[in-house]
Amino acid sequence: MIAYNKTWLANLRLQQQVKNHTDHGDISDSEFKAIAEKYPVGFYSPNIFVRVGLFILTCIIVLFADGLLSLMAASGNLIESTGWFIFLGLLSYGGLELMVNGKNHFRSGVDDALVFTAGGLFIIAFGIMVLSIHNVAGGFLPFTMLVFPLTLYLTLRFADMLATAVCYGSFLWMIFLYWTKVGNVATAPFVLMLISGLTYWLSRKCSNHNRFINYDNCLGVMQVLSLLALYAAGNYYAIDTLSTELMHQTGPVAFGIFFWLWTILMPFVYLGFGIKQKNRILLRTGLLLVVAAVLTFRNYYHLLQVDIMLTIAGIVVLALVYAISKYLKTPKHGFTNAEPDDINAMDSLKIESLIVAETFSHTPAGPANDGAKFGGGDFGGGGSSSSF
Amino acid sequence: MDNNLFENLHAEGLISEGSIEKIRQRKAQPLLFSVHWEIRTLLYVGVLLLTSGSGLLIYDNIDTIGHQVVLMLIALICAGSLLYCFKTKLPFSREKVKSPNSYFDYVLLLGSITLVSFIGYLQYQYGVFGTHYGMATLIPMLALFFIAYYFDHLGILSMAIANLAVWMGVTVTPKELLLHSDFNSQAIVLTYLVLGLILLSAAWATQHFAFKGHFKFSYQHYGIHVTYIAFLAGYFLFYDSVAAFGFMMGIALLSAVMYNDAFSSKSFYFLLLVVLYSYIAISSLVVRVLFLVGDIGAIYLLLLYFIGSAIGMIMLLINLNKKLKAA
Repeated sequence: MIAYNKTWLANLRLQQQVKNHTDHGDISDSEFKAIAEKYPVGFYSPNIFVRVGLFILTCIIVLFADGLLSLMAASGNLIESTGWFIFLGLLSYGGLELMVNGKNHFRSGVDDALVFTAGGLFIIAFGIMVLSIHNVAGGFLPFTMLVFPLTLYLTLRFADMLATAVCYGSFLWMIFLYWTKVGNVATAPFVLMLISGLTYWLSRKCSNHNRFINYDNCLGVMQVLSLLALYAAGNYYAIDTLSTELMHQTGPVAFGIFFWLWTILMPFVYLGFGIKQKNRILLRTGLLLVVAAVLTFRNYYHLLQVDIMLTIAGIVVLALVYAISKYLKTPKHGFTNAEPDDINAMDSLKIESLIVAETFSHTPAGPANDGAKFGGGDFGGGGSSSSF
Repeated sequence: MDNNLFENLHAEGLISEGSIEKIRQRKAQPLLFSVHWEIRTLLYVGVLLLTSGSGLLIYDNIDTIGHQVVLMLIALICAGSLLYCFKTKLPFSREKVKSPNSYFDYVLLLGSITLVSFIGYLQYQYGVFGTHYGMATLIPMLALFFIAYYFDHLGILSMAIANLAVWMGVTVTPKELLLHSDFNSQAIVLTYLVLGLILLSAAWATQHFAFKGHFKFSYQHYGIHVTYIAFLAGYFLFYDSVAAFGFMMGIALLSAVMYNDAFSSKSFYFLLLVVLYSYIAISSLVVRVLFLVGDIGAIYLLLLYFIGSAIGMIMLLINLNKKLKAA
């Protein structure tokens, strides 16, 4: 099913494992070279910078080629039909198969861009098609029913992470729309919880399985999205908004206490399991959702003023960091605070320093009429940090 | 994953006896789960929350607290953090100096931010520098550059560069550059151009004099974007005059210099930037010529140009990548 050469994919994984040990100094470079020769990888997969460049350029080609074709077809009233976008999508798809099978591109930017444009064009075509038959509100269900199999196919064929994300989103949306149409709105959150819990369990199960080894990254995306959906399905704010929108109910939500418990406790359940199972996805999603829980709570109960709350939160977080790093000074229970020593490609961009500059450099804005000499600079975000 | 992978490779004779022994030893050790980045992110979030929270707190209660107390507080935090850094830092060197512990960088950051706020506050409230507004931004900038070099901190170097831009009346952080700057004034374009050239010369000097060589990336990163954007903006600003030609020559020259530099430092990132910015420049020339023709045929030609040229650029990029790897 997968478009890429399976032997090469296996060899690529093997080489990466060996490379890991080479970086640690266990295996010599000449040994690595011998292994790489015995288990060759014929893909064209350049580094991240070239990949970005190729992605942009491929998108330009597709954009202008489609523009040229549309211009030529414009005289014949062709472009107003749904078929035109399907045709353009098929062209992108044809190019994609050609690059993957003929030129052995793998995560080169070219194949990424073509998956993106082919999927996008088909989705536009579906949108036009559905709109020509239904009105906007009634059209969503058939739309998701078209998008889901399309992106599922792209996921299975190219193991593309973006396609996976769209696929999972359209799947959940489809279930939700279907359930609110035939079933009843009040039970929809429970159905979504059940489904997203099930998909999480399934993706965890599959990621241990050798058969799905080529879809490791897609299963990772699916795990993150399932966890987020599982949380969102029971989040008090989400439920409240939906019940107002769909059932025109105002006031407290039924089973409110259950949803509040879900909102507050779920992130900690994630964190707990993340720590217990040493699962990075659970751990990071849990950390992220703690923020969501706090924001949801604040949306309903203003116990403290913003400034006091921010200060206390800052102190609590810093105290927590201090406690954890004190505790992990020597590794305990298999956890360590030491910097992981696998070399990250993005490290060469020195991301951290750029983020620091982006978030903290508004502060040094001098007095507002500083520009009298040099002609107005614009410093947004005043008061976001420090004492202005 | 195949657990016997390395044993199999050993059996095939691809891994020597010594190497397999090392791997076996590593496998026998328990695998540690590093929470380094999670902790670091939390630390960053904590500092951000605390600074913005206390900032707001003071802002809301300035009437009861009084400016002197606030200034004192800021000065105390600043002095405390800088003192800590002076005491714990490793000796100065022209090369990269590692930070003595994982908090050092953040304490230094806190000290620098409070230092800048302190000076800003003094000027805002008491007008210490009077109408010499340049001084109010010059002094924090010099302080930041000093701290960045003395303690070897890349984040503060970036802040200093942003401050240099503020001092010159412009901005360099990507978000501000995209959202808030206007390039419709001659003075601003020229200021950007000067700033970009200063940063690029700084990048060159860092390497040439072997003084904090790892700072080169930051200078060059901001410098190359600012210079290219200034040249392009200048070209469009002086579109109808002869000066436009000069700006295009500037781009050509810059590309040539940066191209060589990307090769000598083996940087894919800067090579990509050179290729993409040059492509934008060439394309805007082609578009200009085709607009002079200005009928439907020209539009077809334009579309064909973009298709053909983008294919050409892809091939070029692939080839350059190969060349750079081999170099």
